[in-house]
This record gives sequence, C-alpha cells and structure tokens, in this order.
Amino acid sequence: MNHAYSITAAELAARGKDDIPPELLSSAHLIYSSPATLAFNSPGAQGFGVKRAGLAVPGSVMLLVAPACCGRNTSALGCEASLAERFFYLMQDDTDIVTGRHLARIPEAVKEVCDSCATRPSAVMICITCVDALLGTDMERVCRKASDYAGVPVVPCYMYALTREGRLPPMVSVRRSVYSLLQPREKVPTSVNILGFFSPLRDDAELYTLLRSAGVRAIREISRCATFEEYQAMAEANFNLVLNQEARHAAADLQKRLGIPSIELARLYQTDKIANQYRLLGQAVGAEFDDAPFRERAEQAIAAFCNQYGHRTFAVGEWLNADPFELSLSLIRNGFAVSEIFGTVGGSNFVYVKKIAALSPDTKIYSNLSPSMMFYDGADAHCDTVIGRDAMYYHPGLPGVPWNEERQPFGYTGVAALFDALGKTLSGTIERRGSVRGKEAAR
Amino acid sequence: MKSLLKHLSPFAPDQSGAVSALFDFNGLIVICDAGGCTGNICGFDEPRWFIRKSAVFSAGLRDMDAILGRDDKLVSKLQSAMDGSGLKFSAIIGTPVPAIIATDFKALKRMAEKRTGLPAITVPATGTRHYDRGASDAWLELFKTFATEKLSIDPGMVGVLGASPLDFPSLDAGNLLSDALKKDGWNMVKCYGMGAGLDDVRAASAAAKNTVVSPAGLAAARYLQKTFGTPYDVQCPWLPTQVLDALPALAGKRTLVIHQQFAANAVRNELLKHDAASRVDVASWFIMEPDFMRGNDFRIESEESFIEAVSNGGYDAIVCDGRLRVAMPRTQNFNIIDFPHFAVSGRLLEEVS
Repeated sequence: MNHAYSITAAELAARGKDDIPPELLSSAHLIYSSPATLAFNSPGAQGFGVKRAGLAVPGSVMLLVAPACCGRNTSALGCEASLAERFFYLMQDDTDIVTGRHLARIPEAVKEVCDSCATRPSAVMICITCVDALLGTDMERVCRKASDYAGVPVVPCYMYALTREGRLPPMVSVRRSVYSLLQPREKVPTSVNILGFFSPLRDDAELYTLLRSAGVRAIREISRCATFEEYQAMAEANFNLVLNQEARHAAADLQKRLGIPSIELARLYQTDKIANQYRLLGQAVGAEFDDAPFRERAEQAIAAFCNQYGHRTFAVGEWLNADPFELSLSLIRNGFAVSEIFGTVGGSNFVYVKKIAALSPDTKIYSNLSPSMMFYDGADAHCDTVIGRDAMYYHPGLPGVPWNEERQPFGYTGVAALFDALGKTLSGTIERRGSVRGKEAAR
Repeated sequence: MKSLLKHLSPFAPDQSGAVSALFDFNGLIVICDAGGCTGNICGFDEPRWFIRKSAVFSAGLRDMDAILGRDDKLVSKLQSAMDGSGLKFSAIIGTPVPAIIATDFKALKRMAEKRTGLPAITVPATGTRHYDRGASDAWLELFKTFATEKLSIDPGMVGVLGASPLDFPSLDAGNLLSDALKKDGWNMVKCYGMGAGLDDVRAASAAAKNTVVSPAGLAAARYLQKTFGTPYDVQCPWLPTQVLDALPALAGKRTLVIHQQFAANAVRNELLKHDAASRVDVASWFIMEPDFMRGNDFRIESEESFIEAVSNGGYDAIVCDGRLRVAMPRTQNFNIIDFPHFAVSGRLLEEVS
C-alpha cells in the first residue's frame, strides 16, 4: 500500500451496493486517524459527541463514569467555561472494572455532584463507555437507584464506541437519552418539535416560516430551550419533525411513550427535491406551502455564483452539514464538476452514487478512514474549490468552505447560504477556514 | 470521594503516553480500541499529530471483535496497512477494551512480527493509569527491541530519555533540551522521541551517558545501564523562560512545585539558588520516584487530597499548570506561577505565550 485507494463513481455503481470494495468499508481495515476524520471517528472527540450532546438537556450536568482515558478530551470541550462547570468524572480503576464496585458509588457520587453545584441541576446525565458495555452493566437500574438517593432525575448516556455500526450507535442512543425526561402532557395542535440536531437551525431557515404559515405557533428545538421548563414543553407537541435520521430512534420512543407522531425530512441541496419534500410535508400536515420565493432565492444564489466564478470543479468532504454524495449530485446537476468525494458509502446514499455515475462517471470516491489515505496526494485531483473541513485538509492550498458550522443549514436557505459562503471565499471577503486545533493543519 | 473529579478533568492516560513515546520513530501505531481512545489521543494528547502526517490507526474494534477476541483479524488488518508502506515497525497499544477481555499482547506481538516480517512492539496500556506509565513501558520496549548491539562509546554523545510533549509542553522541546546539553559540553545529543530517530535508538549503546528528563525515561535508562553499562543521571536541563523569570520573586516564600517530578525538582533547584533557606516542596500527580524525593515531597492521589494539600500546606506560592487553579480554594490567595504541563491541561507554551 503506497497510494490512496479510490474508485470512480461508475465503477462503484457497476459493482452495486452489495459489492462495495473492502477499502471503502471501515470494518474491513484499520481506521486511519487524520485531522480530516477526528470529528466522526470518535464518539467523543470533537463537535457534538456523546458528552456534549448529553448536556443538551437545559440545566443538566454530566457525570462520566469511566476510566480516566475516556474523559481526557473533555478538557478541550470544557474550554468553554459554561460547559466545564457541567462535567464531572467518577474514575474507574482496575479493581472497579474487575469487581464492578464503582456501580455502588454512583448514587453517592451523584449526590455529591448535586451538592457541589451552585444551582441544583435539572438532571444528571451518566455517561458510560465501552467498559460498561463489555461488563453488561444495567445502567438503567443504577440510574433509578441514584435518582432515588439524590432526588434528581438521572439518565444514562451510552458512549459505546464498540457499537458504532450496530443497531444503536452512540449518537443515536444519546438522542433518545436527551428526550427521555419528557413527561406526558396534553397535546397542543399548534406545537411542533424539530429533532435531529444539538444546535438550532439557522435563524433564516424557511422551515420556520413555512410551519408558521400553516398555523404552527410553537416550534421547539432542544438547543433553543433555555430552561428545563421550556424543554418539558416539548412534550405537548402535535408532531415531531425529524431532520436527521440519527433521531429516528428518539422519535419512535417519543411516539411510544408520549404519543407524538413524527415526520422525517432530509437535508438536501437539490432544489427540486427540496420542493418535492415540502409538497409531501404539506400533504401530511394538511397545508399548502408557498415555498417558491425561497426556492427562487436559492436558485438565484447558485446562478449568481456560477455567473461570477464559472463552472468550478469541487472536492467534497464528509465532515460537513450535508450528505457528501447528495451535495455532490446537486453540484453536478447544477453544471459544476466534482472531481472527488471523501465519503462513507452505505445503503442510504448509494442511490446518489448511481446518479452521480450517470452524470459524472469519473468522479473519484475515497474513504477518509482507509489506511491508504496516509498516502493521499491531491496533486492530480483537478479540483479548484473544496467543501468540507476534511476536504480542506486534503487540499490546503485551495479556496473552500468547511461548511460544518454548528448553526444548521436546512432547505433552500441552506443552499443559498452555501453558495453565498463559497462566493465570499472566492472573492476573498472571508478567509479560508479549515483549521484544526486553531491552526492550519499541515498535510 | 477519592475517585471523583469535581473541578478538574482527567489527565493524559497511559495509552497517550505510549503513543507519545513512539510517535517520532516512523512506525505504524495501532491503538487497540473502538475509536474513542484514538480520538482522545490524536485530538488532544498528541499535538504533533496536527502538524505532520502520521501512521496512527484505530483498530476499529466492534462489540463482536471484543466478544470473540478476533486477534487474527486485527493482525490481518495490520499486515494489510503495513504492506508496501515503508514503515519500519508496528506497535499495538492497549486500551480498556483489550484490558477487559484480557488480550494476550505477547501473542499479538509474535503474530504481528510473523505476519509483517518486521519488529513489533506491544504496550498493554489499560486507560486507568497515567501517561507516564504507558510512556515508560513504551520506551523500555522500544530500546529492548531495537538497541540490541553493543557499539563503541562516543565520549561526546549523550542520550536524552523521557522527553515528550506530554512532559515538556513545547513542540520544540527536543531542540531546547539538546541546546541546553550542548552548552554543557556535549557535542552530540540524541533526544529520543523528539528529534532522534530509530537509527539513533539502534545506536543507543554508543552514548557516553544518558540523561533522564522525566520519570517516564527511567526504566529505559536502567535497562541501558544494565545491558550496555551506560551510566545515567537525572536532570532537567531546560525550563521555560517564563517560569525561570518568575522564580526570583518567590525567594523566601514557602513554595509548592507541581509538575512531572524531574522538572519540578529542577524548579526547586532554581528557587534554592535564589534563597537556599526557602522551603520548597515538590508534588506530582504522576510517578514520584522515592530516590529523587525530599522530606516533604508527596504524590497527589486525588483531587480531594490536592485541595487538602494546598489548603493546609501553608504555602505562599505554587508553581504549577495554571489550569489547576480551578481546584484551589478561592479564599486563599496563592502566588501562582503558570508552568504548563501538557499531560494535565493540554496546553503548549506556544499557545500560552
């Protein structure tokens, strides 16, 4: 192995989704760690991993029960003072792991944590890791005991990296955890929850306007709930809008426990598909959305970019707020070229691979996690613009946008914002921002 | 509660120390984990990872791998990554997962060597110990594996053992330590792990002396002494300028120095130069070698005991990583000199100044 493995979209589409080459399957090789992959190679590493996500419940604190190593990077998360004060650690030693004696200390630790807080926490999220996954710990039971002892809700958050490709990966499980404190309430027909992210949608997202035009008065997102009381009001929702498939399990749990049904929307960058999605949503909720002005604005942004900068050739990564294959397809359909995609191919996005193959058969597909990426050399990539923080790592000399801001882009306004950001980067209005750990990552 | 951290966050664990020790030697490093430990190491504990390409991999263990103990699968993946890569050896670093399932690291080493035809190092880290234990184990294995030949001694050559960014919070620490030793008259300084490469490790027996700059390097120094007769001393030839500049103001004050033991001892020596009558105690969260402790020195066992020690120790000044301030009693007004310790706070001097 002395070069980065890639496969063209045409070759991959021809093989079919049941014959994906092992070089693209993370379970078939060692997982390469580069700054391009940090955010999603570890359930606690950067961005909204399990630890930070678990603190989405307003007023909550987190007690990490694990060997010290599992809490190490929380120092980095805790650089933000408001978060630092919400993390606590009960460290397991070798004897704890062998005997399980640490479980008996959890209720007392929870009480000590609560007593040490200036304001009593609304809940204590217990984060446990691979250790308890292997020990088979019944953390639900331990949490009930701790709750009784300390007089505060105690909720388990499972940071089981071992199960990342299983039925309940950590980021799926933690979404269920953060909504598990909602208690049944009388339904309010004009209330809707948006599930899926741990930070809000961009304020200009048309989804808010469209929902309000349909008579919705309260649109709640957990990240906009300032207090535990506001969070509890999410239980009155008439339905949940699921914008990220990792929230499906949480939505199913809310339907089962609180009787709140859900509708799933995908984050898309193809404007005709966005329109179709809103039409179907309208049918489901009995409304007709006037999304034309938003669509027009998005398509104007694409046209304006194209007029000014021509038909650029993109490299698209996966550390960004998009499915890299859907975004690439959108770019190709709008007349741009995509020379390479750094992404994880799976059952859910293979349909885009097939469409890309039909329009741009030579687009190369790389797996960020392949050990061969150690030898990636972008010299012959033929791209001139990059999207995604990982793609920016591979092409440090090219203009681009990370497109992984915490405020979530969605719908037409997301499309417009992307092309606006690309335009600003190319015009030099904003600097290329692809740094990792505060400085430009070297290749 | 002794094992509870209410103010601080956990320090660098043994697997980070092991990776830090081996990072600079052009080997393929596999962290035997599911992904989280690798994220912690690369994303936080190994600042060099951000500025250069490195062959650090996660084994990507999944639940069935752990349950079934699929070592052969791991070694196959390792072999596949090694083939044609030009890397000189492989290293497999433990984490809590292999610790729990009792992975046989000796067997893994044999299997890896057989399959790749290259040397393999294994460090059965557990994630429950501090970085210095893992680094110590890794240094020892590295020299046992590669420093096998007795060479003639070069009287101008000194080896530096125990240097890593976790102990010396600067990416340039290797050069700074080497420059300090060159001023002492050495014309060739081999700072293992921060400048000196694998060929230098192979030629370690040529050193006239080894200087151990952190407790993590002591086991390797003892091994080299026993195997080749290379003498060693313990010293910390370089301290950050901003720390040295702040020390004269502490003359006569009752001072506690908290860092890795040998750096803290060096700070004490500097303080005593200013006022020999000062009472200066050294403490560390990490290895405290009894041979290098003085009367009131102590090891900090827990956050609780740290608070107790600084509250009741009668200290006027504390030289320590400034991040420890959050756990100090707010009612006491210590004179605190910030001496960053990467294994504690993840801060580099380059980022602090």
